[in-house]
Amino acid sequence: MTWLVLIPLLPALAFAAMAPMSRRVRTAVRWLPLAAMSGSLLMSFAAFARVWPGGGEEPVWRATFSLATLGGAPLSVGLRLDAVTAIMLLVVTIVGVCVQVYSLGYMHRDERQGWYFAVLSLFSAAMLLLVLSGDFLLLYMSWEVMGLCSYLLIGFWHEQDAPRRASIKAFLTTRVGDVGFAIGLAAMWAYAHSFDFAVVLRDTHWTVAAATLVSLGLLAGAMGKSAQVPLHVWLPDARAGPTPASALIHAATMVAAGVYLVARALPIFHAAAPWVLIFVMGVGTATALLGATLAMVQYDIKKVLAYSTISQLGYMFIALGAGAEGAALFHLTTHAFFKSLLFLGAGVIIHATHTQDIREMGGLRKTMPWTTGTFLFGALALSGVFPFSGFWSKDDILMTLWTQHTWWSLTALSVALLVAAMTAFYMTRVCIRVFAGRACSLARETHLDMIVPMAVLAGITAVIGFTSPAFAAFLGEVKGWPDLGMAVVGSIAATTGIGLGVWIYAFAGVDTQELRVRFPRVTAVLENGFYFDLTYNRGLVETFQWLTRLLAAFDTTVVDGAVNAVARGWSAASRVSWAFDGTVVDGAVNGVGALVKRAGDRVRTLQSGRVQGYQRLGYAGLLALLGLALLVPYIGALAAAACAFVALIVVGVIVVRGA
Amino acid sequence: MGISDLLSVVVFLPLAGAVVSALVPKTRPEVAKWVAAITMGLGLALTVWIVAVFDRTASGMQFVTNVAWVPQAGIHYHLGVDGVSITMLALSSLLGLIAVIASWKVTDRAPTYFAMLLLLQVGMNGVFLALDFVLFYMFWELVLVPMFFLIGMWGGTRREYASVKFFIYTLAGSVFMLVGMIALYLHTGTFDMVALAKAGSTGALGIGFQNWVFLAFFLGFAVKVPLFPLHTWLPDAHVEAPTAASVLLAGILLKMGTYGFIRVSLPMLPDAARAWAPWIAVLAVISIVYGAAVAFAQTDLKKLVAYSSVSHMGFVMLGIFSMTTAGLNGAVAVMFSHGVVTGMLFLIVGMVYDRTHTRQIADLSGLSSAMPVMGGLLAFASFASLGLPGLSGFVGEFLSLIGAWQSAVIPHWITVIAAVGVLLAAAYMLWMVLRVVLGKPSEVLRGLPDASTRELWVLAPLVALTLIVGLYWSSLLAFVDPAVKALVALVGGAA
Amino acid sequence: MTVGPIAFMALAGVLFCIGLFGALTKKSAVMVLMSLELMTNAVNLNLVAVSRFVTPSSMAGQFAAAFIIVVAAAEIGLGLALVLALYRMRKTVELDRIDRLRG
Repeated sequence: MTWLVLIPLLPALAFAAMAPMSRRVRTAVRWLPLAAMSGSLLMSFAAFARVWPGGGEEPVWRATFSLATLGGAPLSVGLRLDAVTAIMLLVVTIVGVCVQVYSLGYMHRDERQGWYFAVLSLFSAAMLLLVLSGDFLLLYMSWEVMGLCSYLLIGFWHEQDAPRRASIKAFLTTRVGDVGFAIGLAAMWAYAHSFDFAVVLRDTHWTVAAATLVSLGLLAGAMGKSAQVPLHVWLPDARAGPTPASALIHAATMVAAGVYLVARALPIFHAAAPWVLIFVMGVGTATALLGATLAMVQYDIKKVLAYSTISQLGYMFIALGAGAEGAALFHLTTHAFFKSLLFLGAGVIIHATHTQDIREMGGLRKTMPWTTGTFLFGALALSGVFPFSGFWSKDDILMTLWTQHTWWSLTALSVALLVAAMTAFYMTRVCIRVFAGRACSLARETHLDMIVPMAVLAGITAVIGFTSPAFAAFLGEVKGWPDLGMAVVGSIAATTGIGLGVWIYAFAGVDTQELRVRFPRVTAVLENGFYFDLTYNRGLVETFQWLTRLLAAFDTTVVDGAVNAVARGWSAASRVSWAFDGTVVDGAVNGVGALVKRAGDRVRTLQSGRVQGYQRLGYAGLLALLGLALLVPYIGALAAAACAFVALIVVGVIVVRGA
Repeated sequence: MGISDLLSVVVFLPLAGAVVSALVPKTRPEVAKWVAAITMGLGLALTVWIVAVFDRTASGMQFVTNVAWVPQAGIHYHLGVDGVSITMLALSSLLGLIAVIASWKVTDRAPTYFAMLLLLQVGMNGVFLALDFVLFYMFWELVLVPMFFLIGMWGGTRREYASVKFFIYTLAGSVFMLVGMIALYLHTGTFDMVALAKAGSTGALGIGFQNWVFLAFFLGFAVKVPLFPLHTWLPDAHVEAPTAASVLLAGILLKMGTYGFIRVSLPMLPDAARAWAPWIAVLAVISIVYGAAVAFAQTDLKKLVAYSSVSHMGFVMLGIFSMTTAGLNGAVAVMFSHGVVTGMLFLIVGMVYDRTHTRQIADLSGLSSAMPVMGGLLAFASFASLGLPGLSGFVGEFLSLIGAWQSAVIPHWITVIAAVGVLLAAAYMLWMVLRVVLGKPSEVLRGLPDASTRELWVLAPLVALTLIVGLYWSSLLAFVDPAVKALVALVGGAA
Repeated sequence: MTVGPIAFMALAGVLFCIGLFGALTKKSAVMVLMSLELMTNAVNLNLVAVSRFVTPSSMAGQFAAAFIIVVAAAEIGLGLALVLALYRMRKTVELDRIDRLRG
């Protein structure tokens, strides 16, 4: 089954082929990623067929690849196909193909669209590799590559200021979590000496301390990627990118990768201290509530959807906190379809009305029936209305919380029900604002190539909920059809939300403007998103910038200043020694020089310049040497005699003087 | 001439080229650059040959040449290559050729310029291959001279200050190294680095003695790395140096320091290294975070890259002093990757500067719109630098972190701070990309040509290496791991 | 009366002394050259004589003499050429007046 490698490889190759092309050629082959994704889709179905219907946790296929050896021990990465992977593959490729098809229509006027398709393809490759990864290292690597693609796509229209800033914000915020992820991986390696799922999750006996550390690290990464409080701030801004990219990356797949990671690593979370899972649930609860609250007050349709995504991801984290891997993954799956559907619909609406503000829209149901219909499917699913998919997956989560029956799970349950009502409320609000009422613009229905993907997603959204028991069984869990009681409670929550929304917005039961004026403080808090952005900007970003400037000044004045001070001190010392040198040392040298010069003046007279003078000297010297040669045998005696003679004279002189 | 003489040829071939290049009359600069290019090309070809023939399973020295040179003092002409040095040799040969091609447009005193580049190559190759301390020291100091002239004669406006600062600062460091060398010699009676490594691991040297010698070597190497707070010569030298010199300075010269730690401090003075490791790890982490923070505040592109080097070299130091196989593999990987990636960054900044005559971040914007290829490559290099998986920067940083966490001598909180450095790297690099690569094209970029064919050829091998090493770690680490394993066994660190 | 080696040596000695005297005292460079030639020939005479009386069979002295004659001829040619050049430059060949190398 080595062909499974092709699933991520095809889109990757499409990117590799397109990256070096010129803008024009890239645009010409913009269909290439779609072709690659279609191939991946077919193979994903084939892969699913291999796993079905057995399912379970055991992989049906594994492949390892030695990345390097460390001290002779291999550091391997690997791929694995099991039930979870098979489902994720299908989710990613189906949504991916829909988004690709839709994008061909959506982006066809943009002159840099080739680059958009290339990056989308790289993203798909990374996401597919992530779900195929059989170990945490490969997962982390594809995780980061997805982050890069998200960055590139959010900042796609980088000539404008907002997308640029949103892109860097997204990358850095998720990287804050990734620092934790990296530390978690380091700790994992130090403890288990492996990244392999099979080894780490099954064969390793974790100590509580080690498991706590590792799980918190992984959780940090997941919280960044899946936009959990307090790292959620990047997701609402991510709407600055092209809408179909948001549909794929920031609604369906990448943001769900955090949920996938925690779901995979759940055995470590179970081995960790009990408060870790409670913490996960707490994070999820807070995120779900915060997202839903903020989604209710937004006017930008994409921002509503973004906060809604945050809220739904919180829902999934609640499920993870309850240890319900299956429920979380099921909600992930349904959410991927209906939320990408909603984003695609929003893209069409924005294209048609040339605005993102829901106050400036209205009456689209008449001119855009297809868009209206599909969008409503998505909205109903998100609101949790039977029989749409959201109902089933939400019910799963609620039921899990109920069965767990601890004080924290019951708290989370009540918040989750509240959030369900709020979700239904804000979706009703959007739908009424956009589709009902008088037509505000000359919006036209979009082309077939964009309707078809939406219709496909809408169809899936309508029916996929019924797979709930099969889905659980496939993952190796035992679960029947939903409990009637919980289904009723969930439906009541949804109906309440919808009813409230209809009463307020369709029948103008409450003047929302008046509410805003009457509670200015609440309005301010909500409009500023609970001041997260402001706090981060003031507290972290600006402090950091100030600190870096301070450190840079410190570097030039203190650290480098010390170096320069040493140099200056040295040069001062050298001036002193130069003076010493000039007078004393060089004086001595000059004295010797003068001495030699004076001696030279004496001796130079020998150099008469006359040939015969030299000749004479030469012959005299010759004679002297001859004489010396003859006297050699007696030279010692002669020398002694001469010395004695000189000594005698000296002594004589001393004696005479002394006397 | 046997295969073991290959190393001598690789070392001294550029010397011959330097002599020839220096003799070329000033009026024919193109001859000099061809001489340099051909010499460097030959050197690279030989290096590739060595890499191909190199036995990747062996841990010891290969291609050894060892003849008595000054027998009275026990000095030998001793060259050899192992898994660590071969990566550095390959890097230096490649960057040498790239530096020459990147200097193709240099016409000012070209014969001397290329002679200096070639002479520099002799020193760089020699340092990584020498196995005798005297020889090592000679090559080490030889490197300073041509670099001094390259900065001082072909540099920017403050070139005198920068070149003198560079020369004196690093020379001051290496004087301590010389003292350490002599101390080791007086104690053991040999300059042979292989024998000294053996002596160190068998505990022949007392801890008191080791501590002092370690400190001396530390000063010599740490200046070169450079480790906080001995780093301030680096930004000045980089800003003033011509592009090719910047590439070699960051790509190779800095690695000499960390190479020294791997080759000398760890095996010869293992007890002292273990004792000092936590403190050096602290300095390494300060370098990582401090370098990243200061890089964030820079307004000059070259300074930004220079401070990012301080940060990255901190990861190398962290990996080395984790004394684990993962950490040391990571350290060598960062050394290699930093050479490639930072070389790429300096080359691109140089190319932009050639066109716009500015390196101020504030003056540039929208590079990717004005010059799509150049902007794209700058973004690529930035992502490689900030450690994106799949590109070479990630390999080393990740392994260094793993090694540091595993290490018995480095406390966990140090590793945590180092991991934050990864985030800061993303911050300063993307902040730069946001201002330089993205946005509307600025006035100075209007109507300028995109990368030329020659420039693309200069960058292409670096791009390829970044991808290859990043995607298939073994392409680099297969060479490194056996040597590192032997070293860790010698030092007695964790596996 | 046979002519013994002493006689040759005495003659050579006389010739050499005459030459030496001339070389040291003559003012004209030409005369100095001629005196040098006398000294050379004194040596030649000595060589031939000693060779004839000490090792009659080897002829080494005669060879040396013949060699010296050749060298001397070359030398005198060179010397005269230098003197001529000197004369052209300085309009004199008096050695006392040629002392530009005085220290």
